[in-house]
Amino acid sequence: MRRLLIHTILFLFGLSLGLSLPWFWWLDREAERRFAERQWTQDSRIYGRPLELYVGRKLRLDDLIFELERIGMRAGDPGRVGRFRQQAARVDLHAPAFRFPDQDQAAQRLRIELVGGVVESLENPGGESLALVRLPPAELGDLLPMGSDDRTLTQLADFPPLLVTGIQAVEDRQFRHHHGIDPRGLARAIWTNLRRGAVVQGGSTITQQLVKNLFLSPDRSLIRKLNEAVMAISLERHFSKGEILEAYLNEVYLGQDGAQAIHGFGRASAYYFGLPVQALDVDQIALLIGMARGASWYHPVRNPERARIRRDFVLGQFLDTGLIDSAQHDRLAERALDVSTHRQRRQRPNAAFLELVSRQLRRDYRDDDLRGTGLKIFTTLSPSAQHAAEQGLARGLSARERQAGELQGAAILIEPSSGEIRALVGDRQASRRGFNRALDARRSVGSVIKPFVYLLALAQPDRYTLTSPIIDEPIEIEQPGREPWQPRNHDDISHGEVALMDALANSYNQATVALGMEIGLPALYRLLGQLGIETGDEQHPSALLGAISLTPLQVAQLYQPLAAEGYSTPLRAITQVVDAENREIGRYPMRLRPIREEGALALLDFALRHAVTDGTARALPALLNEDPGVRGKTGTTNDRRDAWFVGYTRQWLGVVWTGRDDNAPAGVTGSSTALPIWAEIANALPFRPQPTQWPDTLEWFWIDWPQARLASEQCPNALAVPFIQGSQPLVLSDCFEPASTSRRARGRRR
Amino acid sequence: MRVVEGAKFIIDRYLNNNTMNRIPSACTKTAIALTILVVFTACATQPPAPTEDRSVAEQVRAPAAEQTRGLQVFPLRNPAVTELSEAALAAEQQGDLDQATLLLERALRIQPRDPELLQHMAEIRLERGEWEQAEGFAARSFDVGPRLGEICQRNWRTMALARERLMRFDEAATARERLQSCQIEPPARL
Repeated sequence: MRRLLIHTILFLFGLSLGLSLPWFWWLDREAERRFAERQWTQDSRIYGRPLELYVGRKLRLDDLIFELERIGMRAGDPGRVGRFRQQAARVDLHAPAFRFPDQDQAAQRLRIELVGGVVESLENPGGESLALVRLPPAELGDLLPMGSDDRTLTQLADFPPLLVTGIQAVEDRQFRHHHGIDPRGLARAIWTNLRRGAVVQGGSTITQQLVKNLFLSPDRSLIRKLNEAVMAISLERHFSKGEILEAYLNEVYLGQDGAQAIHGFGRASAYYFGLPVQALDVDQIALLIGMARGASWYHPVRNPERARIRRDFVLGQFLDTGLIDSAQHDRLAERALDVSTHRQRRQRPNAAFLELVSRQLRRDYRDDDLRGTGLKIFTTLSPSAQHAAEQGLARGLSARERQAGELQGAAILIEPSSGEIRALVGDRQASRRGFNRALDARRSVGSVIKPFVYLLALAQPDRYTLTSPIIDEPIEIEQPGREPWQPRNHDDISHGEVALMDALANSYNQATVALGMEIGLPALYRLLGQLGIETGDEQHPSALLGAISLTPLQVAQLYQPLAAEGYSTPLRAITQVVDAENREIGRYPMRLRPIREEGALALLDFALRHAVTDGTARALPALLNEDPGVRGKTGTTNDRRDAWFVGYTRQWLGVVWTGRDDNAPAGVTGSSTALPIWAEIANALPFRPQPTQWPDTLEWFWIDWPQARLASEQCPNALAVPFIQGSQPLVLSDCFEPASTSRRARGRRR
Repeated sequence: MRVVEGAKFIIDRYLNNNTMNRIPSACTKTAIALTILVVFTACATQPPAPTEDRSVAEQVRAPAAEQTRGLQVFPLRNPAVTELSEAALAAEQQGDLDQATLLLERALRIQPRDPELLQHMAEIRLERGEWEQAEGFAARSFDVGPRLGEICQRNWRTMALARERLMRFDEAATARERLQSCQIEPPARL
């Protein structure tokens, strides 16, 4: 009998050993594998362009503060990271650290003085002046909808030291010494809990909690506890304490933001306090450490009382372990919970721009390469310009629609010379995700197309100049299988013989069709193709008046070389993509392609300035705080369905479209709807005055009107007009004095 | 002698255009004019043979630097741009062309019309074998630049090299011709 019992025990022991050894072996392997793969489950973050500070930079104080807030900084004592203090036109700030792909940039203190909207001085606290400081970029969002959970990896060294030691003081004081499980800690926890008659202390080590967060379901069973212990020991065998702690700080569950789980102290800090983790105060660190035990039980908004008691308990632990002194403890324990979950993630700021970024990435990479790989995507968006565009569009539409909510719109801002997209708005409610009009609303462009017809004409200086007479009169174009086309002018008046530059500036339809038919439709379609616009096969004369449907982004692409002195560059939203270790995955460098018609482009530039000073856009200068010499073109389509305005300087190119989503008549016009919105946006942007540099191939002459003839400066109506060398008119005006010259003196610029 | 007078005139113009320079005496001006003429005559008869052991960018820079001793354009520069462009040069010398490109792009965001930055970018693109881009940036640099002196030479030498690599030999020859006029034409601007 006894032998049977011994045999049975031995048999069961052998059986369990035989079963559990492979089981332990499997757990060990899984723990190692899954931990090593952990880095591949981070979300990809998208960043705006970093703000570069240097003396002489145009920068308004409001914009600086706005940009600082967008990078997660808050008003406060600049002695602490992530805080800034503004006094009159001086801003002291303590910018957080940031790992740029090319440089690990440490946190740094700065003093900036602005005078008249320009950076006057830039110094470090020692009073040394700095040539250039690159602030960390604003985080715009993540690549959606790839992951439902929100994770970013913060390196151990980037967590505040108090958080790193504090979490050990509260959760696992033996962390540095144990091998994954802590039997003494477990015994002490059991003893304490028995004595108090409630669970006040947990016995899990940080490693066990990490295992639970990473791999296991939240159910409480003995088997799970056993697995957890085995895997914890396994992790300790394969990885260093530093790696385990770093993973824990990045993985621990700290609450819920809608459907998204908040993992890690970095995310939690941004969610609960709107701060980078380095900028957290002691009491804020204590609150978050307290939540690690149970994020919903100790939730500071839903259960503020419990959260506060827990925070004070953590502060007590800090005091016990000498992390803070008693004066500090008493002061901090007085503080209320200062939680601001105002950051609404369902609303997606920069929705339209992020959509563009995400489309470009999907075009260039496989989905698998993008999913959860912790990419950092650096983009061209300027948070302050984006803000200006969003506000301008929303306010402008409300002020100009016939009934509230009737109109929709899109606005795009780019930097012409580099083709970088600084702002993109695809909805009057900019953070609404949905139909992105900037990218997807293909609408008739109307007169916005006309400059390209005139560019083709001006590229033939032996046939056309700015003063060439064009006939604006009723015209009939035969069309195979259709009624002849009879374009009309907007005001239903034909103006007879007009100068080419006036026909463009006043946007005369009949004159433009007459000119376009002389040049030929294929030339226009070819030019549009060269400028990167696909138009389809069918060529229709009404294209001369803009019966071509383009998106606002395509219109921006069309106008980019006009604003960039004839150098075409593809519009860019992304500059660089790096992986979680800052290794470069992809790059989108600036590219330039010269368009050969330097002289013609300059003449067109002159004519588009003429449109702003004397043509359909003449309302603009009065709406601008200061006119930096804007060139522009209005566009209105049939029955006032669409209104466009495209305006540019060398620094900014802006496209505004408005209309109704159902394409019904909307009562809008380019000059009365889109143009004022453009002006409102432009008034919020920094403009540098820049004199125009005209190419050497141009010569300037004084021209008399209405029939363009050579005049002298003294003639009453004389206007200086540029001509490509040798193309000026030869007929002299009556008021021309033989002793004078009609050539304008060099060195004068308009 | 008329040629020397002409060169003196150019130097006068040039120096007057650059506030940073003190106006030297007439004697110094003549000396500089003669030096330029001598150097220029030398280059007209003996074009520098491209040496294969030089990097492509060096093939552009070195001859220009040799020929324009004493006549360099030092425009007043934003210190931020100087910092970035020096860092770009350092990165280039270490062979990190990616980093050099990034730094130059940052500088170009600050001063998009700086001929020196644009030409530097053109030379980096040459080294990367991006011939079309090299040509584009050099052309842009010429458009906004002084159209005279060292940088003008680098502009046209870059365009010539790039066009040769793109098998556009006629255009490359035109570029080599334009290269000659970098020395004799005054900066003709309106």
